[in-house]
Amino acid sequence: MNFPSYFWYTVLWLIFWGAVGALVTPRVYTRKDKFTYQTAMLGAFVGAALGPVGLILLWWFTPPASLKWLGLSGLLILVWLAAAFAKADPDNLCVTSGSFIATQITNGLVIGAIYGLMALGLTLIFSILGIVSFAHGEFYMLGGMVTYYATEVWFPDLNPLVGVLIAALFTFALGAVFELLFLRPMITGQIERPGEYAILVTFGLAFFLQYTTLSLVGASPKKASRFFDYPRVKIPAETGDLLKITPGNLTFFDLISIPTARFTALMIALVLLFALLYFLYRTWTGKALRAVSQDRQAAAVTGINPKRMNTLAFALGGMLAGISGAALVQVFSWVPWVGIPASSRSFVIIVLGGMGSLPGAFIGGLILGVVEALGAGCVPDPHRAAAYLPAYGMIILVLVLLLKPTGLFGREL
Amino acid sequence: MIELDVKDVSKNFGGLLAVNHVSFQVRGPELIGLIGPNGAGKTTLTNLLSGALKPTSGTIYMNGQRIDVLPPYKIAKVGLGRTFQVTRAFRRMTVLENLLVPALAMHPTARQAQFVKKAREVAEFLTIDHLLNEYARALSGGQQKLLELGRLLMLDPDFIILDEPFAGVHPKLMEIIYEYITETNKKGKAFLIISHDMETIFTLSQRLLVMAFGKLIADGPPQEVRKDPAVIKAYLGSDSDKPWQPERKRVPA
Amino acid sequence: MRNNLRLLKALTWVVGGGFLLILPFLIPTRMHVAIIALYYAILASSWALLAGYGGQFSFAHMAFAGLGAYTAGLVGKFFRLTTAPTHVCHEWSLGGWWLVVQDTGSPTCLETAKASMPAGTVIMQFPSWLDITLGILVGGLFGLLIGALVLRLRRTYLALFTIAFAEILRTAINAERDITGGPGGLKVAPLFPDGITLFGHHFSAADKWPPYLVMLILFLGIMALMYWLAGSRFGLFIRSIREDEEAAGSLGVHVVRYKILLFTVTAMFAAAAGGVYAHFVRVIAPNMMVIKEMSVVISMAVIGGMESLLGAAIGAILIEFALEQLRNDITIGSFTLHMTDWRLVVFGALLMITLRFWGNGLIYPIIQRITRRGVAEETVAKRLQAAAANPEEPST
Repeated sequence: MNFPSYFWYTVLWLIFWGAVGALVTPRVYTRKDKFTYQTAMLGAFVGAALGPVGLILLWWFTPPASLKWLGLSGLLILVWLAAAFAKADPDNLCVTSGSFIATQITNGLVIGAIYGLMALGLTLIFSILGIVSFAHGEFYMLGGMVTYYATEVWFPDLNPLVGVLIAALFTFALGAVFELLFLRPMITGQIERPGEYAILVTFGLAFFLQYTTLSLVGASPKKASRFFDYPRVKIPAETGDLLKITPGNLTFFDLISIPTARFTALMIALVLLFALLYFLYRTWTGKALRAVSQDRQAAAVTGINPKRMNTLAFALGGMLAGISGAALVQVFSWVPWVGIPASSRSFVIIVLGGMGSLPGAFIGGLILGVVEALGAGCVPDPHRAAAYLPAYGMIILVLVLLLKPTGLFGREL
Repeated sequence: MIELDVKDVSKNFGGLLAVNHVSFQVRGPELIGLIGPNGAGKTTLTNLLSGALKPTSGTIYMNGQRIDVLPPYKIAKVGLGRTFQVTRAFRRMTVLENLLVPALAMHPTARQAQFVKKAREVAEFLTIDHLLNEYARALSGGQQKLLELGRLLMLDPDFIILDEPFAGVHPKLMEIIYEYITETNKKGKAFLIISHDMETIFTLSQRLLVMAFGKLIADGPPQEVRKDPAVIKAYLGSDSDKPWQPERKRVPA
Repeated sequence: MRNNLRLLKALTWVVGGGFLLILPFLIPTRMHVAIIALYYAILASSWALLAGYGGQFSFAHMAFAGLGAYTAGLVGKFFRLTTAPTHVCHEWSLGGWWLVVQDTGSPTCLETAKASMPAGTVIMQFPSWLDITLGILVGGLFGLLIGALVLRLRRTYLALFTIAFAEILRTAINAERDITGGPGGLKVAPLFPDGITLFGHHFSAADKWPPYLVMLILFLGIMALMYWLAGSRFGLFIRSIREDEEAAGSLGVHVVRYKILLFTVTAMFAAAAGGVYAHFVRVIAPNMMVIKEMSVVISMAVIGGMESLLGAAIGAILIEFALEQLRNDITIGSFTLHMTDWRLVVFGALLMITLRFWGNGLIYPIIQRITRRGVAEETVAKRLQAAAANPEEPST
């Protein structure tokens, strides 16, 4: 398949004017004695969106960097990219078939919601303990593994939801034990360089869990069967124009199709998300957790034990990852290192959403899900599309860290 | 002779004016105290001077060179040195290595061995010479403060900013710090000292700057500043006809 | 005391170097392991310089090694030197020689051209030293770029950024099969394609002595260079930056320059190791850059002692040999323990326990006990002396 250079030239054009905007704009604002906060970002966006014309206008009027201008120019950039793509590869399924695009985006959102749930665990850990767990993906992997073994090997007749519950308990307990043994010493002052220690010890945990699992269950891929078989339904009954259900697939409006396994996973994720929100905003313990995340000392004075909250947060975070894995074990095949890309995704999401921001994590998850689905579906050469899959999120991560390290909803650094 | 010109400097933290159009000049080896209630913007002002923060508006010139646009290391080379409110010794480096860093940074082509003797003298002056090969983390809080002063002696700047040099320091060490300030001042170096220790700052400084709510509200000799109604108001929160007196307990030798 | 230390250092170099030189005689069947151990030793100790001395927790170190290896491999695959022009390939004249590129658009152009080229035309690959050097330059260039990009990022953010860089690079190499061979790997010529004669003995291209000696020289050279760097102002400055960037800057340390420099040199060391490694193993795959490999290197440095170049190197060598020794399965009755997997479990547990209880590693404290012997006594003695001279002085 020939992929003309339109697309790459457009990308180069965007990068060039974006870089010019990012480098020059803050200086223009300084010279005009205007507030320079986030003007590098604004310059980059406007430069990429409108090229030299936009930059001249921007430097002439120097409006403050508001979400309005950032959002508008961001949208325009996406439009340019889409147009260049359509021009470069007019026969691509992504250009010709609206149904394909809609299906890809919906599936991206579905998977993204589950990624979001997993990243929510990581962001919870970050907001309470101030660390990023590099073993987060391993909790995800173990959640799936335990569910698989519980429902397929040990107790074949077990209700899958009980299997998910077992996975949740297991990952919760594992998180609590690890926190008590290895992270607790950080706040009791037994560790000399806590920041570096946290990175390395969670990294060590990831390594340990991967190879323990590999040693115990072997490297052959495992795949749990669908949790639930859906009945065959058509609405309206004759044509199924609105909704068509088969045991393996859901089709909405004859346009968007979602495998039922993914739909089940989405439902589990949404139930859990609401349970988590209820827990954090309506129960005493949840409020205590949020209090600790905002001000550790002040929370301690009001009778909350921050140490216990640390353990709870880490265990809870691990559990969220575990349940995400449990929900997805019926969708993907499972190997001991399935957690590595999952970890990477969580990192991308929390950086994109802003470290420590709960809504950011969820929205970041949705964005990443869509980007990966479009990347996998639209990149012309299918072999390349699959091979580059791990890179899409990483490119987002790099861009966010360079342009706006606080992410979409992050606190100031 | 040192010349420092702070012209109309402001720093805006997302709407909060931490430093609000502050201007002052320093000519020659003055010994200046900077006081003000908590949150007055004293530390922010020192961070602006040393380049750790960039002002939102205004300019700072030192010896004819504009320094507010320079990175911190260049400001250090122009001749401005500082300590921090919380001591920031290089904890996992020995005392000797701590002292060598600024000396080597100032002399790009020099060799380490050239400065070992000077480092030893500095350590002797600050009574930490027996600790030269110890890691800085093994030092007591007060000794770490001395080590910071030692680094400044090795850096040998013309203008020295000390942020709370007397806070939580053993009286014996306080004497050494006091001696360091007066001795160095005699050698023609200017000082800007932030302190909550009123009695010391009043006896020590020749000129007092008072900040409140980001503004410079008084600038003059200590005796005059003490009677300034604006200062009294800032400290007591209300108008009072009684001139404010610092408590006098002891004056270090 | 100080002179003793200098003697000790010299002795360590002579004994250590000598031991490594005669090591293959002791374990002639395990030379492969010995070469890989030295490869890891270079990576672990240069990572120790980057992370332990400089405080830059980069996870891109294996990516730099990969850059070195792939540059060497790709130069070998696509570039040729000829004594006559081909007129069909992309080519540049280099004073008597022609640099010929057989890119993916014309992979067989040289074959086609051979017929029309004058008799006696020499067609040769780049010598190994040259493509390794190119690899070092590419590694250094990327180190410079990454160093400049991560200036504002600290700790976790830096770790994430470098992981992302490493993953993007690995993914790209994996995906661009036409160029890199993808996951299947890229063939690389041996270090000395025609063999080499050393001390009157001819070693064939497959012989393990020459690569061992090259890797050993590289290891000793890089160690010497790193010790020189660590002992110079560079070492002092990067350690002060690790401790407190802001304070270092306020004392005149050019933080930006030294951080970038640190990334660049350590990337070059890693790339050099990668280049020699590529010529030794002969087939390189993107797997050499996976996160697991990075974990291995980090673990070696941590267990040896992150803040010690020697500790990290010794740690790497010991662990590589231990891991190879532990490959044999253990059978207890009817139950067999597959050690190929379990040894890594043990390794992971060892890493966590070391971090938790011996933050300075297992080997560095031993080194420190020797080199810092007497410092505490000296301090106490001086303090007593001072107290005796001035009885009223309170102890501070």
